[in-house]
Amino acid sequence: MPATALNPASSSVLSADGLRKTYLSGVQRLQVLSDVSLEVAAGESVSIRGESGSGKSTLINLLAGLDAPDVGRLLWFGQPATPDRRAEFLGIVFQSFYLIPEMDALANVLMAARIRGGAGAAERSRARDLLGRVGLAERATHLPAQLSGGERQRVAVARALMNAPKLVLADEPTGNLDERTGDAVIELLLGLCRETGTALVLVTHNVAHAAKCAHQLTLRDGTLC
Amino acid sequence: MPWPIYLALKQLFPTGRRFPFFTLISITGVALGVMLLVISISVMGGFQHEIRKMIVDTQGEVQVRGEGLIADPAAVLAALAQVPGVAAATPFAEGVALIEHERKPAYPGIQGIDLARIEAVAPLGRFVRVGSLDDLDDDTVILSSQLAAGLGARLGSRIEVYSPLLLEKMKNDEVMLPRELTVVGLFEVGHQQLDSSLVLVTLRTMQDLYGLGPAVHGVNVRIAPGADPDAVARAVNETMLRAHRVQARSWIEANEDFLFVLQLEKNMIFFLLTFIIVVAAFSVASSLLIAVVRKTREIGLLGALGAKPRQVAACFCCQGLFIGVAGTAAGVALGFVFLHFRNDMIRIFTQLTGSEEVLARFYQFSRLPAHTAREDIVLIIVCAVVISTLAGLLPAWRAARLKPVEALRSE
Ligand SMILES: Nc1ncnc2c1ncn2[C@@H]1O[C@H](COP(=O)(O)OP(=O)(O)OP(=O)(O)O)[C@@H](O)[C@H]1O
Ligand SMILES: [Mg+2]
Repeated sequence: MPATALNPASSSVLSADGLRKTYLSGVQRLQVLSDVSLEVAAGESVSIRGESGSGKSTLINLLAGLDAPDVGRLLWFGQPATPDRRAEFLGIVFQSFYLIPEMDALANVLMAARIRGGAGAAERSRARDLLGRVGLAERATHLPAQLSGGERQRVAVARALMNAPKLVLADEPTGNLDERTGDAVIELLLGLCRETGTALVLVTHNVAHAAKCAHQLTLRDGTLC
Repeated sequence: MPWPIYLALKQLFPTGRRFPFFTLISITGVALGVMLLVISISVMGGFQHEIRKMIVDTQGEVQVRGEGLIADPAAVLAALAQVPGVAAATPFAEGVALIEHERKPAYPGIQGIDLARIEAVAPLGRFVRVGSLDDLDDDTVILSSQLAAGLGARLGSRIEVYSPLLLEKMKNDEVMLPRELTVVGLFEVGHQQLDSSLVLVTLRTMQDLYGLGPAVHGVNVRIAPGADPDAVARAVNETMLRAHRVQARSWIEANEDFLFVLQLEKNMIFFLLTFIIVVAAFSVASSLLIAVVRKTREIGLLGALGAKPRQVAACFCCQGLFIGVAGTAAGVALGFVFLHFRNDMIRIFTQLTGSEEVLARFYQFSRLPAHTAREDIVLIIVCAVVISTLAGLLPAWRAARLKPVEALRSE
């Protein structure tokens, strides 16, 4: 990527500066994020904890470029974040798995590649490989309805990594899973990110999961600390 | 394959489900509408075709008439032969006559035909069901079937013919005998009016009866295959209007009003039946709308994966398009199957209800005609596919408007 090579901030995968987000509902203004700044370097893992309602999901949506901040600046790889860069730049894992029920596991993983530009033989073998790495090689042709919660989340993890993103955003990926399964998914996510040199922002309530990340942050009163 | 198309197909035909109900029912709805359209338009086209064929087969495609009589038919025929597009021509004389058979009178139209030339223009021989056109000569006559039945005349019966000229002379107390002619054939065209009141004689008999001498009333023209009747009529008028004082009219022009009504009827049926497809499309639209609402979170996810709103929209439009294409294909196929077996089906139906005779008596046919014009089928296909695709538009617009954040948040 020549553009980023020229950019001095290229070691920073994600750079958020002074993000503010206010929700308006009727006459009521709710300032969820007042001033959030965050730098994530290549391959780095960051955990974000915070009370329920503190604005973690709001922040993840902003970082993913799914929602626009009131003020603040967001750079992906030193370049302004734009929706058409999303497929290539980042992978997202949500609390709910959001698999497409009409397609089998392999097709769900491949969907990320299709949206990015196409699913050829190379993508197909990469998707199989990823399913193998999340331990679902045998389940590639199973529909989401035939998979357990943990298995579905592992498919979602494989999908997030499909396009070899620079950054994975995970919003409480274990929220719908029991403890043992959750631990396994987090191990998998961290392991795969470390292996592939992918940066990770992990939102979680679980102290043990947070502790596994290189940097631990807390969202409180609209700012990160 | 662009992913919106892929996803559309997956949603219509999910992996591992052999009978996706929504898809089958939507396709069936469109198919039924298209099938009905194909059948109705083909049957209407069949009637149209039969009627056109009957007109053309009995009088050729172009009719040439003089201002009064055509005094020198040979010259007109020779001149006609020079006009491009004219394949054959035959002179005729026509009128009405009083005919009598065993004291039963009738007043049919009477037509004198030139036996040497008629077959090249109008294959009347084909319509002669009993006897033969070959037996017609100056002392014989061919009756239309229903007329013969009404008079109680059969092959070999002798009928008396009084022409207006004869009646005129009788008024002046001249002693005149009617012309006696022997029935040598019965014909049936399949048209109520012609079959109940027409008599065929030779041109010479007719010229005698009407005292025409060598003159005729007109000339029927058969045009070369592929030629346009109106163009030929124009060409005839351009070259012959002055010189021979005759005027040509194509059968299309001559039957303009009738053909217009026929076409209008067909168009009305097309218009009304198209609404069946519109109704089917509405049900497709509402099913797709429900799908959009049900899949809100997945649509949000597509956005999170980087899908653009217009790609999401395309996915739902494609679903409408696929339903339209599949339904149309099935409908056209079903329509043709029905048309192929239509007479068997009607026979079974009439046998069950015991209405065979009624059908034959009132509709003058026992077999349902069908003629499928290619342009009609193309029009049906285009309409059905366009309408179904439009049905995908509203759901598509709804889906495209969803913001990923809100969609993912929805419960
Ligand atoms: N679209 C919205 N309109 C109004 N208020 C909103 C909207 N989205 C979020 N909020 C509010 O913003 C606050 C933060 O919500 P958010 O979902 O970011 O919290 P969270 O930290 O992710 O909580 P949890 O841990 O329960 O997931 C909440 O008080 C929520 O009610
Ligand atoms: Mg949340």
